[in-house]
Order: sequence, then C-alpha cells, then structure tokens
Amino acid sequence: MTTKTHGMARIFMRRATVAGLGLATVFALTPHSYAADVSGTLVLLDWASGSEQDMIKALEDGFVKANPGVQFKEVNLTVQGDARGAIRAALQSGEKADIFINTWPAFRKELADAGLLKDLTPLWDSAKLGDNLSQSWKDLGSLDGKLYGVTYTFGDRSAMFYKTDTMKKAGIDAQPKTWDEFVANFAKLKAAGITPIAVGAKVWSHTEWFESIYEHLNGVDMAAQLTSHKIPWTDPSVKNTLKKWAELIKAGCCGDAADMLAMDWDNASDAVMKAGTHGYQIIGMWNNDRAQSTDGLKSGTDFNITQFPAMGAGHDDVSSVDTKEFSEFSGAANPAAADAFLTWITTKDAANIIAQHGLASPSNKVDPSLYSAVIKYSVDAVAAAKPQFVMGDLLPGDLVDEYRVQLQKFLQDPSDANIDAVTQALETKAASSY
Amino acid sequence: MTDATQAPVSGSGVTTSSPVTDSDRRRLAAARRRRWMADMPAAYLLLAPVLVLFAFSVVYPLIQTIWLSFWDIKGLYPPKFAGFGNFVTLFNDATFLRAIVTTLLWTVCTTVLSVGAGWGLALLCSLAPKATLIPRVLIFTAFGVSEAVTGYIWLGIYRPDAGGVLNALLSAIGLGQFAHPWLGDANTAIWCLIIAYSWAQTGLPLILIFAATQAVSRNVIEAAHIDGAGPGAIMRYIIAPLSLPGVRVALFINLLGSLRAFDTIYVLTGGGPVRTTETIGFFMFRESFTQFKLGYGAAATLVLLAAVLIISIPAIIQRTKEAK
Repeated sequence: MTTKTHGMARIFMRRATVAGLGLATVFALTPHSYAADVSGTLVLLDWASGSEQDMIKALEDGFVKANPGVQFKEVNLTVQGDARGAIRAALQSGEKADIFINTWPAFRKELADAGLLKDLTPLWDSAKLGDNLSQSWKDLGSLDGKLYGVTYTFGDRSAMFYKTDTMKKAGIDAQPKTWDEFVANFAKLKAAGITPIAVGAKVWSHTEWFESIYEHLNGVDMAAQLTSHKIPWTDPSVKNTLKKWAELIKAGCCGDAADMLAMDWDNASDAVMKAGTHGYQIIGMWNNDRAQSTDGLKSGTDFNITQFPAMGAGHDDVSSVDTKEFSEFSGAANPAAADAFLTWITTKDAANIIAQHGLASPSNKVDPSLYSAVIKYSVDAVAAAKPQFVMGDLLPGDLVDEYRVQLQKFLQDPSDANIDAVTQALETKAASSY
Repeated sequence: MTDATQAPVSGSGVTTSSPVTDSDRRRLAAARRRRWMADMPAAYLLLAPVLVLFAFSVVYPLIQTIWLSFWDIKGLYPPKFAGFGNFVTLFNDATFLRAIVTTLLWTVCTTVLSVGAGWGLALLCSLAPKATLIPRVLIFTAFGVSEAVTGYIWLGIYRPDAGGVLNALLSAIGLGQFAHPWLGDANTAIWCLIIAYSWAQTGLPLILIFAATQAVSRNVIEAAHIDGAGPGAIMRYIIAPLSLPGVRVALFINLLGSLRAFDTIYVLTGGGPVRTTETIGFFMFRESFTQFKLGYGAAATLVLLAAVLIISIPAIIQRTKEAK
C-alpha cells in the first residue's frame, strides 16, 4: 500500500511538473509577456517631412525613453506630393519595415487586400486601446470590421485659415457663420485689394472646396455613397455642388483660373499667411504648425480658423476630416516592439508630444492646455460634427487623379455646360476604376 | 594592270601574275577563319565586362519592361495578364494621344531653340575665341546643372506672386499690366517650359559647334580673306557650313534628351495645368509611379522607346557611314 502510495505520488509529481512546465510555456507565449519584452530594432517606413518629421522624431525619442531596449530605424522616403507611389515602390523593391504612416483609407484597403497589413483588433482588446481612444477612431482605422491603423493625429478639413490683419484691413470684425454672410464679405475683401479665397489648384488642394460644399449640401451619407460609387458622378448632388461653387467663382472669390492653377497648396498658404493678398484657405491642420514654425506667426493671434459657413441645407453639422495612423506590416520583424509603439502612441506622453508640435491627438489622455488656439478650435469643431473623411483619399488611385484634373477643368470654365462635361468625364473614369 | 582575279606574286625581284585558283581562295578563307577563331576568345574576354554591364543595365530592364507591358497591374493588387490590352487602351486614351502631340511640340521646339541658340552663340564666339571663354563656360554651366534644379530656378522666375522675378521685372519697368500667372495658364505654360528647358540645354550645342568651328583650317579663312571676303561672307560661306557636322551631333543629342525630358516639367508644372504640359515621359511617370499602373506605364515606355529608336537608328547608321 505504502509502495503503491509512493508510486502514485511520484506519478502525480511528474505530471504536475509537466503540467507546470506546459503552463509556463503557454504563459511565456501569451501576448502579455511577449509585449513586456520590448527590445531590438523597430523600423519605421516614414514619408513625413518638415515640422511633421520633427514631431515623428520626438515621438520616436519618447518611445525609446520609455523602452530603452528599442532602437528606432527610419526608412525615409523622399516624396513630393502623394507618397503612395513611393511607399509601393519601397515595398515592391523589398524594403523591410515594421510600421508605417498612412493617411489614405483607399491605400489601407489596397495594402490589406494584398495581405500586407496586420489585423490590430486583438491588440486593441489586449492593450485596452479603447481606454485612450474612442470607438469612432477605431471605426475610422478599420476596414470590414478589422482594425488596421491606430490614429495618432487628425485634422479639421472644413476649417478656413485666415490672417487676423487681413480681416482687420477689410473691416471684417466677426467671421461669417452662414454662406450668405461669407459671400457678402467678398465685397469688403475685394475693396481692400484682397482676393477672398486662395485656391491652390496646381495639384490637389482645390478639391477641398468641392468636398466641403458637397458635404454641407448633401451630408455624409451621400458623400460615402459617392466615394464608393453607389451613386454616379453625374448625380444632381454633384452638379448642384459645382453650381454652388460656380456662384463663388462668379462672385470673384478666387481670381482667374490661371491664378488658381499656378498655385500649389503651399503657395496658397503663403498668399494668405505671408503676403496677405488672399483672405481664406481651406487646408489641413499641418498649416497651423507651418504658420508658426515657418512664418513665425502666433496661432490664434496672428492667424486663426473659422469653420466652413452653414449652407442651410440640413447638413451643417458635418466636418471633413483627415487622420494619420500608424499601421503594422503583417511581416514585421519585431512585432513586439511594433505593438508596444502602437499602444504607446495613444498614451498621455505621446499625445502631449503631438499637441506640443501643433497637431491634434485623438487620445482622451491629451492635455488640452497644450493645444494652440487653432487646434483647440478644430478639435472642438470635429468633436461637435459628423466626421466625413476627405473624399479624395477614399477614391481609387485611378479616379483620384481624374477627379483633380476634372475639377481643374471646372475652374477654367464653371458654366453649366462644362459642369455636365466634367461630371460625365468623372463618371466615365469611375465606371472603370472600381 | 592586275586583273581582279590575279594576285601579285613576289619572288626573285620580278613581279609576275598567276591565276588564283578556287583552292587558293579556300585556303586563304580558311586561314582567315582560323585567325579569326584564334582571336575570338581574347575579343570576347575584352568585351565581357561591357557585355555583362549592358545585359544588366539595358537588356534585362528592357525585357522586364516588355514583360510588364503585357500585364494589368494596379497598385499592390495581384497582376492580371492583359496581352496587348495595355497598348490597345493606350492608343484609345485621349490623355496619351494628347501627350504624343505635346511631346512632338515640346521636342521640336526645345531642340530647335537650344541648338539654334547654341549654333548662333558658337558662331559669335568663333569670332573671338579667347575673349568669349568666360561666357562660354557660364552658358555651359547651365547645362551641367540638374534638370530639377533648373526647374526650381525657373519656378522662382515664373511664380505668380510678388516673389516671381518675371512679374516683378515687368512691374519695375512699368509693364505691370503684362504680369501673368505664367504656369497656370494653359496657353503660356508649355512655352514657359520650352524656354526654361532650352536655356538649360543650349550649353552642349554651343560647345560642340564651337569645337567644329575651331576645326576649320585657318588657311581656308585666310585664303578667303585674301580673295576679298569680308567677315560676314567668311561666316556665311565658310564657318557656318563647316560647322554643320557639330550641328548634326548637337541636334541628335538634344532631340533624344528632349524626348526623354521629365524633371523640369515635373518641377515647374507637374504636367498641368489640366495636363497641357504632359509629355509621354511624364505620362509614363504618372501612370507608373503615381497611380502604380506599372503595366500601362511600361506600355507607354515602349512607345517612347520606339520613338527614340526611330530617330536614333537612322542617325547612328548615318554617322557610321560618315566614319567609314
């Protein structure tokens, strides 16, 4: 009996040891302990430039300070204009990276369809990213229910930048709240020798006006249907938007078509912020940082923003927004560090770095007192609105180019006949692009 | 006189002729073949580095481009075989057809302007070679500047705001009413580009043609002078015609350069406004690298290559004949 009891105890102990080792192995392989051991090189495919690049560098330094075992390595893409071509070329030529910056939902789909992106939904749950980011940011970074990007900054793209001196010169004391007030102010601006709006139509930034008008006249649901081609580009909603924009042009908003087509977004920014020859510009919130760091202007004092005027069509609660997100490649060589970075980017430390660099953070841990006046205004405006992602960034690559060119043609001739031709050309392209 | 079928035979101090038989010819041919075969390994050994380099840098990319042109590639989506579909689409694409017309206008104008200006300056410089050394070097320096930098220089000249040199100059001399957004107007943009590119490309024709003028014998010029020809007549009837070989080389080089031009267009107008300055080279870039339609872009590349070959092969054959 005793022998038998000892034998049973030995067997029990052996099994317990095996079970214990197994449990230890399982525990060692769980994401929690996996993420705890963050070290090695983290490679970022980076296309940011200028002051935005400085912010990325500050974020890298902040992360390394919190995780001293990690070294950041940047694969810098020198890009002018749309960076997607350079990113594709880098990936196809075998460039290896763990994470990258994305701002185009259509590109996210392309990469996800090619199996290049890691599904971050498990990370959202395990790292409790929802404690720092609201569900709406998860939705904006998701595709077909899977999260592919962790948003680190966003911008109000329905905001009009202006310089306070310019408005003072034109005798405009209060910014217009309605479309009619906005158009009525053109006379004051022109009387002061100021072109009311700077439209940089050389490449893409003229589309901002189409998009804000479209969304305010037709709402976010229609915008979503148009960008997914559920309604054609010959739809009355598109034609009415162009006709409304034509009213501005005919009211002398923007100078000659050649003036607009000669300016890129940065020339338009210079015209508003430096020269003061133009009144307003719709552009992304990076312009806030640019105006401060490049032009030496004080946000909220020397320049400011005002939200796109209400058009009274029942959709004035909408705002066009853009986001920038970090995504992780499915073949990341250092997924632990990549996951840790994507988690850290939502924390208070990271959010405050972003705020200090003049941009908005989606994290609810951000210290709002760090925001400049312009960013504070834009954050509140987006929070109060139905967000619609920049429409051009939702279009397939084929179509987005035609979209920009056809809107340039519209600027050259905003007549009804040309509006028909422009919308027809867009529809023809769209028919072969999806 | 020796018959074509007779070969001189040397011996005992007397040259005689004897008929060459078929067997002699065969022996001679065989000897030549043996000598040729013996030289072959050394020849190929010497040529090998160039052939390997050529294979890697020209043949392989060319085969790859031809292969790509048969595929429908959109971004990172899986490619689909398209056969000649890309070429069919290309020649039905109004944007591409317009790019062909723009390329023709661009190539002819930039070549004529740059070579014409280079030729004129070379002839002027030939009148006082030493005194014109510094201007020649300065003009050639522009050719040495990269096309992208040239673009940025001219962007500063053409920009529409107060910082634009051209508009500021017009205002300064009381012609402010002619200030214009030069690059935003479809009617002026292409001409602005042509001027900017031609300016940068004038240096090479200047140097090539100037070299040709310096090869003209002083004796010929002095003889003409003695015969009573004035400087104008010497220039018109002697130096200008004898500089034509230099002009031909310059035309050939600048024509091919213009066909392939991209950087200046990219920097100054980005193909706009509304694609009016989009050449085949720019079209190829936009389709391949902005939209990442690599197959379609490759098809456009092959059309451009065909244009380059159509121009260059006859020119190369002509030059080879002249060399003989």
